[in-house]
Amino acid sequence: MVASRFISKLQRYEGWFGIASGLLIMVGLYLGLVTSSPDYYQGEVVRIMYIHVPAAQSAMLAYTVLFGGSLWYLWKRDPVVDNMCHAAAGIGIFFTSIALVTGSIWAKPTWNTWWTWDPRLISFAIMLLILVGYVMLRTFLEDKEKEATYAAILAIVGFIDLPIIHFSVEWWRTLHQPLSISTRGVSIASDMLIPLLLMSIGFYLLFTYMLMVRTQMLYLQHLLEAKRGRMLSKVHL
Amino acid sequence: MKWLYLRWGGVLIIAAIIGVFGIQRYDRDVTAISPDRLLRDQPTQTVRVLGMVEPGSIVKEGGAVAFQLSGEGAKVSVRYVGDESDNLRDLKTVVMVGTWNPATHLFESGKIALVPNYGFVTAAYLLSLIPMGLFLFNMERKVAMLYILIKEEKVYQPEQLAEESVESR
Repeated sequence: MVASRFISKLQRYEGWFGIASGLLIMVGLYLGLVTSSPDYYQGEVVRIMYIHVPAAQSAMLAYTVLFGGSLWYLWKRDPVVDNMCHAAAGIGIFFTSIALVTGSIWAKPTWNTWWTWDPRLISFAIMLLILVGYVMLRTFLEDKEKEATYAAILAIVGFIDLPIIHFSVEWWRTLHQPLSISTRGVSIASDMLIPLLLMSIGFYLLFTYMLMVRTQMLYLQHLLEAKRGRMLSKVHL
Repeated sequence: MKWLYLRWGGVLIIAAIIGVFGIQRYDRDVTAISPDRLLRDQPTQTVRVLGMVEPGSIVKEGGAVAFQLSGEGAKVSVRYVGDESDNLRDLKTVVMVGTWNPATHLFESGKIALVPNYGFVTAAYLLSLIPMGLFLFNMERKVAMLYILIKEEKVYQPEQLAEESVESR
């Protein structure tokens, strides 16, 4: 893939994703914080759901992108896709941390603890460790080819964690709430469902926008470093 | 760079507006007063009163429940007519929604609400949205700065470099 054309495409379309995500998130925040009703048992604290769930979903989307990109890289050795994987990992760490922090804050008033060794929480924390490991691998290896290959292998192997995260609430007895939206139906009121869906879609678009920006950032950094002679670049210009 | 800062200035303004709506809603629907303040202000509109059910004060009178609600050194007599709730028990902290009757010195309530815990909600949103905004702003700013640097160093010349690449082959 020719990097310059790819970067031009990113520049052309990223604005739309940014605007769409901003609008959806703002409407979702307004509906979630102002108009939606509190939960019968949890009260106002249920509003944390509108940030916790979308952040968790975006974290899993980031890892899925990382997984798919890693497979593609190992097959085609495309440096542009490798760049995108590196970008997705950084964003994935961010969203995973947000999900864990907001989840912990939500847990205190509902479960009376900041943390518990629950399968969902443990598997999600493991995903954070895998992503951090991925980024550390990319930072500390000198050989760029090896760096990209080993990181891709780590991402592919670590993908086993994602179905564990998703199905943990069904496979084991957990404190964590089961799926509110599943093939069995929807177990959430509509005035909560609408802001949740808006925030989820908004966060997906936000992740896409962040991915576009961060991929550009990494590409431009490599370009500058190549010019300054610090590394051999295989960027096709 | 100017458009970057203008854009983010707009985002901050809209976030502030949403915050104002949130605070208004909090004041209208969530915030509760103490029994002491209820006796002092004797409001005429519907209010939420947060207090503890005095032990031994619960008396069932037909379809109503009467009890004493205490808080901040004051006690208020409450008459509740509504759905049966297991929240109405000795030493339980509750929020009663109703109106003050100055003639009978009774707080007439038709609804029991959960004790508000908006501090957790505020903490969750601040700890997620602020870092998110900073993260994204930092990335966008870095991209803008890199484009400026690359332009200054004249790194990116696609036509020239493409020609050189063809010639070298």
